[in-house]
Amino acid sequence: MAFSNQTPTIVVLKEGTDASQGRGQILTNINACLAIQETLKPTLGPFGSDILIVNSQGKTTISNDGATILKLLDIVHPAAQMLVDISRSQDAEVGDGTTTVTVLAGELLKEAKTFIEDGVSSHLITRGFRKACELCMHKIEELAVDVRKEDADEFRQLLERCARTAMSSKLISNNSDFFTKMVVDAVLSLDQEELDEKLIGIKKVAGGSIEDSLFIDGVAFKKTFSYAGFEQQPKYFTNPKIVCLNVELELKAEKDNAEVRVEQVKDYQSIVDAEWKIIFNKLEEITSTGANIVLSKLPIGDLATQYFADRNIFCAGRISHEDMDRITKAIGGNVQSTCSDITPADLGTCATFEEVQIGGDRYNLFKGCPEAKTCTLILRGGAEQVIAEVERSLHDAIMIVKRAISNHTVVAGGGAIEMELSKYLRDYSRTIAGKQQLIISAFAKALEVIPRQLCENAGLDAIELLNILRSSHAKGETWYGIDFQKESVGNNMKNFIWEPALVKINAISSATEAATLLLSVDETIRNDEQEQAGPPQGRGRGAF
Amino acid sequence: MAAQGMPDLSNAIVAQDEMGRPFIIVRDQGKKQRKHGIEATKSHILAARSVASIVKTSLGPRGLDKILISQDGDITITNDGATILTQMDLDNQIAKLLVELSRSQDDEIGDGTTGVVVLASALLDQALELIEKGIHPIKIANGFDEACKIAIDQLDKVADVVPIEDESYLLKAAKTSLGSKIVSKSHDHFSQMAVDAVMAVADLERKDVDFELIKIEKKVGGSIEDSLLIKGVLLDKDFSHPQMPKQVKDCKIAILTCPFEPPKPKTKHKLDISTVEEFKLLQEYETKKFQEMIDLVKQSEANVVACQWGFDDEANHLLLSNGLNAIRWIGGSELELLAIATNGRIVPRFEDLSPEKLGSAGIVRELEFGTTRDRMLVIEDCSNSKAVTCFIRGSNEMITAEGVRALHDSLCVVRNLIRDNRVVYGGGAAELTCSLAVSEAADKQKGIDQYAFRAFASALDTIPMTLAENSGLDPIETLSHLKSKQVNENSSRLGVDCLGKGTNDMKELFVIDPYIGKRQQLLLATQLTRMILKINDVIISGKDEY
Repeated sequence: MAFSNQTPTIVVLKEGTDASQGRGQILTNINACLAIQETLKPTLGPFGSDILIVNSQGKTTISNDGATILKLLDIVHPAAQMLVDISRSQDAEVGDGTTTVTVLAGELLKEAKTFIEDGVSSHLITRGFRKACELCMHKIEELAVDVRKEDADEFRQLLERCARTAMSSKLISNNSDFFTKMVVDAVLSLDQEELDEKLIGIKKVAGGSIEDSLFIDGVAFKKTFSYAGFEQQPKYFTNPKIVCLNVELELKAEKDNAEVRVEQVKDYQSIVDAEWKIIFNKLEEITSTGANIVLSKLPIGDLATQYFADRNIFCAGRISHEDMDRITKAIGGNVQSTCSDITPADLGTCATFEEVQIGGDRYNLFKGCPEAKTCTLILRGGAEQVIAEVERSLHDAIMIVKRAISNHTVVAGGGAIEMELSKYLRDYSRTIAGKQQLIISAFAKALEVIPRQLCENAGLDAIELLNILRSSHAKGETWYGIDFQKESVGNNMKNFIWEPALVKINAISSATEAATLLLSVDETIRNDEQEQAGPPQGRGRGAF
Repeated sequence: MAAQGMPDLSNAIVAQDEMGRPFIIVRDQGKKQRKHGIEATKSHILAARSVASIVKTSLGPRGLDKILISQDGDITITNDGATILTQMDLDNQIAKLLVELSRSQDDEIGDGTTGVVVLASALLDQALELIEKGIHPIKIANGFDEACKIAIDQLDKVADVVPIEDESYLLKAAKTSLGSKIVSKSHDHFSQMAVDAVMAVADLERKDVDFELIKIEKKVGGSIEDSLLIKGVLLDKDFSHPQMPKQVKDCKIAILTCPFEPPKPKTKHKLDISTVEEFKLLQEYETKKFQEMIDLVKQSEANVVACQWGFDDEANHLLLSNGLNAIRWIGGSELELLAIATNGRIVPRFEDLSPEKLGSAGIVRELEFGTTRDRMLVIEDCSNSKAVTCFIRGSNEMITAEGVRALHDSLCVVRNLIRDNRVVYGGGAAELTCSLAVSEAADKQKGIDQYAFRAFASALDTIPMTLAENSGLDPIETLSHLKSKQVNENSSRLGVDCLGKGTNDMKELFVIDPYIGKRQQLLLATQLTRMILKINDVIISGKDEY
């Protein structure tokens, strides 16, 4: 395709528009994706390392989570952007396996590259890949082990094992005993029908070691801004009555922009009195409900704080929307937007309320909530980045547990399922004639990237272990995968390295989709006006 | 059209198109810095080492201070690890992690901020050697985790329980933490202050100490020995009128959050005054209001008025002529502390004043310092002793600031003992016994963990070695001597005799540290090491040009 300089240039597109096409374009796109894959590869698996990214504002992130890294890389290449999108969709859909899906998609493209170079039409390749993917889906569904939900113990174990596998590659892998329990407790405390993970509050407090993190079967939030008098309020209640408000309790102008014209000096005092009366009426109404704790989304001013302190009532204003949402979910009751007509039914309660010191901050804890459809994790750690990574890891684990509850079939991790699928596809490919045979076996080969990369990251001999794995799968050992404890191969179903089948199904299908999509693109037209500032001579043909 | 104008791609994510030309995948590639693999890990370890070498010389009673000059020319002299690191304004990412490490030790424990950084860098140093041997960084981190567990078990074993009812132990612990500070010449005085302050506010049943109730004030002048603990509140204010008596006994204090002015509505308002009569009326109204206010205060039998806001001059005069002492412009948190200390209630308006809402204090007096006309108010003999103020003096700004930090450290130590009354011995004794336990366990390990265990043990040795070095002793000789002594005498109390007292028994020297502080140091340092070892790829965006 090096003739472009000799043919007379016919200007169809606006100057500065970047167009490239043909087979070269496909190869360029594949190369771009491979470069991204190369970056993510070392983070895969329990011995995967982390990547430290500093953005232009100087904010540091240390992460092992594929989706997070890709998001922060700030990728501009349109094809490589595709990989970012699939990892994000995996994150949104299942929450884990974001690295897997990117690595897999990259590997599929790498396999396809040789075919393209050999002049195979990309349509044939995509058809082959789709077929292979379909076969994989059926095979996974066939192989996946169903764990009975009726047996509570067994079911809990399933969840814990899935959570553990999800955490194994993260910073917290050595504390996974501690965190699996926390994660499973957290998800089980949710409403099992809705499983809205937003109701699991995660609070981060720097300081302390990772295992000082707390699980609270209720709500916790940081002490809000308080006015003088706050410290005189009681800080501990058992079975308190709690009223939640969306009312501002402050002495203030009731109407903005209103102006009062005072005609006579004596009227002056009556206006002052009227304003006081408004706020005092509100306060009296609240007190008369018998509530011990007053919470509000809007500020509670110093006057109200002192008023409550006088009557042994605890109050907290300026509670964030999410916290308030979770509080009402936990303690029952409704958020009131007026102070009048508060019935006892609108009040919530919990077993204990307490203000405690956690690290350098004081926290308000509501424990033992009757409705308890929510819970809070308080994460600790030596540095902000540590906590941020713990949070991301827990998020992954929570999503996995959530998936496992609604979809309780599992497969073995550690490369076991990939090897089995690879073997199955290879066997299948031999039964068909034509180019599809090659393409499907290429798909099979691409699947092997997962166990291979796992070995490489752990510093094991990938070639040797893969050979052993292939032979054991050929002998019918379905669940053989990499065993990192023994640094060899083992039955990962028995080793309890479990993953929800859904994660794998989603990872393989979205990787295939991304790969096929990229293969079918043979022209990029980019109208990028900023690029005009670049060197004017010669229209570059790459994606530059 | 080859290389010209191309950004520097030597270390960026690069791919090549079919013509062999590199093209860009990630925004601003040329400006990004990138480090990869072992290279990245090594450079991190070197960064950590250089940070640690800065604070290393501050460790221990013979540790030296650092002088830090900020951009505005403010000078800080300190040997508190957390303070040094926070003020250094580091640029390196790993160095920043170490800063956070010492800060979180500071938040949680309040002491041992230097030790934790030294330990973390020692662990990384050891890890570097293992990495060069070709061991996978994560395996090293796993080994360190296991070793850390053993070290903590050992700490558990050797920890002694001290009766916190016996103040002498608390005093000793406070003294240990002050050993390395500038105030060490008066550490008896300071440790007594710290213990008294914490015991005054501690809730022994819930094992909770609310630091909000301990206020630390500083004032330049006098010597450090003049620092004192005030069982009450100290306000950096004076009475509102110079003619008010300088001392009031048996005070009844009215604590107000409304100004001594005619009340104003919050709603926007406008008063048209068109005639002289009306103006006179207004004036009368104001005078009447002032008189009413004074009467209300009088009725409630208060003799001191503490107000969050200011007074009108007229009100001030009226207060004086009515024999009421008044303080104005008290900050919100101070007002709160005053209310807690005197068991008073904060009153939002004059109408609500009543005798039972008043706070009471034995004495309110004005302190005058030296020849400067600075005055402060001391409110003592309060009805609630659960609010105290530590008042630090010193000959210059730097010394008082360092005094405050030192006192904070020792307050934390005492609080930690109240939370958990187990102690271990200082002077490197605790680290030594952990090191011995870990190296003993090393031989029992299968596989690569052996190396990690040994490395962990030698990292622990760094603390006593640094202590010895800072005290002018021969580090290696001291260490080997102590190790053999600990093994032979089977005693975990032997540490570095930094001050040349002639014995290594830390129990005799009363050098003790709270158990939770040491445990936290080990855990935090190990976790941070893991985090740093796990990174093998660094991508740093270029700074925005504009």
